[in-house]
Amino acid sequence: MKKITKILGAALLMAMSAMPFAGNAQIIKGGYFNVDWQFNAPVGNEYANVASGWGMNFEGGYYIIPKMSLGLFVSYHTNNKYIGEQVLQLSDTESLYTDQQHSIYQVPFGITSRWRFIEDRMFEPYIGVKLGAMYTRMESDTQVYTYYQDRWGFNVQPEIGFSLFPMPVNRIGFHMAIYYSYATNKSHVLTYNINGYNNIGFRLGISF
Amino acid sequence: MKQVIPILLLAMAFTACQKEPDFNELSSELIVYTNYDKNVNFGKFATYAIPDSILVLDDKSKPTYFAANDPRTTAIIGAINSEMKTRGYTEVDNNLYADMGIQVSYVKDTNTIISYASTNPYWWYGYDYYWPGSYWNPYWWGWTPSYAYPISYTYTIGSLIIEFIALEDANASTKKIPVIWTAYMAGILSSNQLNINRTVTGIYQAFEQSPYIQSSVQ
Repeated sequence: MKKITKILGAALLMAMSAMPFAGNAQIIKGGYFNVDWQFNAPVGNEYANVASGWGMNFEGGYYIIPKMSLGLFVSYHTNNKYIGEQVLQLSDTESLYTDQQHSIYQVPFGITSRWRFIEDRMFEPYIGVKLGAMYTRMESDTQVYTYYQDRWGFNVQPEIGFSLFPMPVNRIGFHMAIYYSYATNKSHVLTYNINGYNNIGFRLGISF
Repeated sequence: MKQVIPILLLAMAFTACQKEPDFNELSSELIVYTNYDKNVNFGKFATYAIPDSILVLDDKSKPTYFAANDPRTTAIIGAINSEMKTRGYTEVDNNLYADMGIQVSYVKDTNTIISYASTNPYWWYGYDYYWPGSYWNPYWWGWTPSYAYPISYTYTIGSLIIEFIALEDANASTKKIPVIWTAYMAGILSSNQLNINRTVTGIYQAFEQSPYIQSSVQ
């Protein structure tokens, strides 16, 4: 938790340093930025399906029309899971007795688009979608060895959320979203396979 | 736009922020790896020979051993003998009359060993004094081990290797002795010393995950 606090603190400080100190100006008029803490749960695989808050999301966009934005995003997340000792049949003749720490590390990035239902108000709900590439590392750590495989794939993330601006004129507020993420990455480590990465989660952060 | 740059840099930095798992959970657990030659019928063997000392692989130019009266030796060889007896094999003193030989090595220092060469997985560097040496009977001087399977692990400091060699199938013309079973265990150190209990547990586990080691000779 200390590390999360440090990361969040650093993110907030950096974000605040980029904010205007006074006035009602946005960094880019008609644009927005989000810095979010992320809670993510892999679904559809049992490799490392323990939900965690080890991730963040960064995105920025520009409203090309009053209700619709286009922008860029990058996020990252780690999910870990301890696996007790067992014998893995690595091949016809190879057996490995070990316990493991399973880990899935995901870094999706690409373009993001939103459709907001209300504009320039305190409460701005929206629906959105993110499209892009995703890097994954599927990893198994044992006491002595680390086994891993890096893969790339295509990622899509529909999301629904809202921005909350206590003082709408300042355009500095809070952001929350829930999302579903799917990526085409296929990974194999030891005797485990993941054929496509599915996740659900939510994001909490700041918007400016 | 200058104000955006720190945020972008921050985002890039965070993309390398993979959260490491809690390795403390792993610290007390063994790793036991076994591999064998699937073309060998372990049931055809009836006898085996095992030295009364354990070879220590370190950076010294001459081999060193855990002596026969060392408690580590008696515990390790005792566990192996117990398992072999349970599986129907009989120990003989003279390896010239044994079907199998059992080699036990403790890796103290890996400086002299590169266990796996990708260009030739069957070649073991730094073993010049290992098999051909005086560890076995002088009869085997100049013989080298022959692996029918790749060993895909670099052995780490503080690990134990047990290998079965088919003395019965030794090839006199090529001077090669087939290695038919390898067990490798790590995580057997406590406070930088060999933990006997954990090592013995690892030996039992190696046999447990190798049910094909069973004599059928009556």
